[in-house]
Amino acid sequence: MNTFFQVSIADFRESFRAKWFLIYSLVFGGAVILLFVLGITESRVMGFTGLSRLLITYIQLCVAILPILILISTVRSVVGDRESNILEYFLSMPISLGAYFWGKIVSKFFLIFIPISTALLGAIVWGMVKSLSIPWYIAGYYALLLGTLSWCFLGLGMFISTLVKKQEWGLGLSILIWLVLLLFIDVILIGLMLQNQIQESVIVAVSMLNPIMVFRTGAVLLFDPELTSMGPASYVILDNMGYRGFLTFTILYPLSLGWLFSWLGFFRFKRGDLV
Amino acid sequence: MIKINSLTKKFGKIPVLDNISLTVKKGDRIALIGQNGAGKTTLIRIILGQYLFNGELTVFDKNPRHHRVEILDRIGFVPQLPPPIQMNVGELVKFSASISRKSGIDAIYQKATELGLDIEKNVKKPFQKLSGGMKQKLLIALALAKQPDILIMDEPAANLDPQGRQAFFLQLIRSMENTTMLLSSHRVDEIINLINRIVEIDYGRVVQDEQIDRSHFADKMLKCQITLTQNHEAAIRMLNDWNFKNKNGGRKFEGGFIGAERLRFLTSISHFANHIQELNIS
Repeated sequence: MNTFFQVSIADFRESFRAKWFLIYSLVFGGAVILLFVLGITESRVMGFTGLSRLLITYIQLCVAILPILILISTVRSVVGDRESNILEYFLSMPISLGAYFWGKIVSKFFLIFIPISTALLGAIVWGMVKSLSIPWYIAGYYALLLGTLSWCFLGLGMFISTLVKKQEWGLGLSILIWLVLLLFIDVILIGLMLQNQIQESVIVAVSMLNPIMVFRTGAVLLFDPELTSMGPASYVILDNMGYRGFLTFTILYPLSLGWLFSWLGFFRFKRGDLV
Repeated sequence: MIKINSLTKKFGKIPVLDNISLTVKKGDRIALIGQNGAGKTTLIRIILGQYLFNGELTVFDKNPRHHRVEILDRIGFVPQLPPPIQMNVGELVKFSASISRKSGIDAIYQKATELGLDIEKNVKKPFQKLSGGMKQKLLIALALAKQPDILIMDEPAANLDPQGRQAFFLQLIRSMENTTMLLSSHRVDEIINLINRIVEIDYGRVVQDEQIDRSHFADKMLKCQITLTQNHEAAIRMLNDWNFKNKNGGRKFEGGFIGAERLRFLTSISHFANHIQELNIS
């Protein structure tokens, strides 16, 4: 357990000094500041205004950029350490493979989650200063949603990192996966629906396997409980799962997926040549 | 301490180590030599439990892959190139001390001082910003502070300039006693004073395994006469370092050395092969 914490702290310190972390923090911190500066709290969409409006916009931004930022920053973890010989050196120390791998994952999770949750918290504090009403329920759920999405893509990033031999391949594969997941949010699925060749429920099921889509739908569900903005797909989702069932699904599914990928990554890591 | 029997390691279909058998006993200080790509680093990584392999290998009678932590707690390792660690020196020292059971911050400071590195002065400096020599000294101090039963060094002076290499090895000799050691190097002359056995690997096979101090001439004084083609300054300086005396102010030099040093001597003069007219060792 001691080595696990030591590896986590060491990796946290290493990554904290890395440029990607600075850029990553600036993107999310900057996004919230920009939204305030642009006066998004004054605008109204579907009856939402003030801080709720800002949080909804923030979460929509996260849908688009959070997965790829997480993938880019974590996909280099194992393969990058391998290429730079850091792995050779650290694994010559009495550190178990589990302590190394899970220590890295935990540190990366905090590194990813701290800036996005701080930005969220900053928005709430700013809202309080400006005497806006605070949507605690939405903020809490969004924090949870961001946490599970981070965990999901962190697991995927670590899995890819153990899979590839070169960082470039890892980055390429990450971008490809991200693009496929984005395309399967709307573009391809709408195309399939229009062709009327595949049952609607199958298309909805495919979309619900996509963690970005699950995240997006979960985010929509809070301010649009009947998912009217999603059209006929809402019937399939809500008829099968119900409001609370689907909210639970949006938390548990990415979490499980993250665990699955993490374990696959760990098995892949410990079963092959380490360096 | 290390038993290797019929060990083979392939990358794809290419065997990098081909049916190697080797035993390392307590007190062995082995120079693992061979050309680039001979398989030295691969063998070291297998001993450290970092590569899978076919055949048998035990370190302290245990499988290095299944008992990694136990085994690595008793091994000190210095890599070929210092890894680009972002931590500062103080953090790295603390990390290393906390990971290894027998290591401690004081012991690391002491070993570093013996090697000529003042950690206190550089404690806030990022490891990356240290000079090549300082990095290497720190890594060696971290490895020695563990009081390892086996010290493994992979080309430890690869990124040092010639003067730095010489100073580094001199300091290393002073700071270590009775350590079992596996030292990979291209150049035997540099490490000859550190070792008592040479294992040469070529194309993945052990082609030479010789105890140096047990050789026939090891404790005999050898007499040597050299005639240079011209008064080459560097060659004369080298001969003076070996306490050779110039005969009659000409190009002829006479001196001697003990048998155990003959490999080091021959390597030293090999740099001046073009300037040697006559050489006689008896």
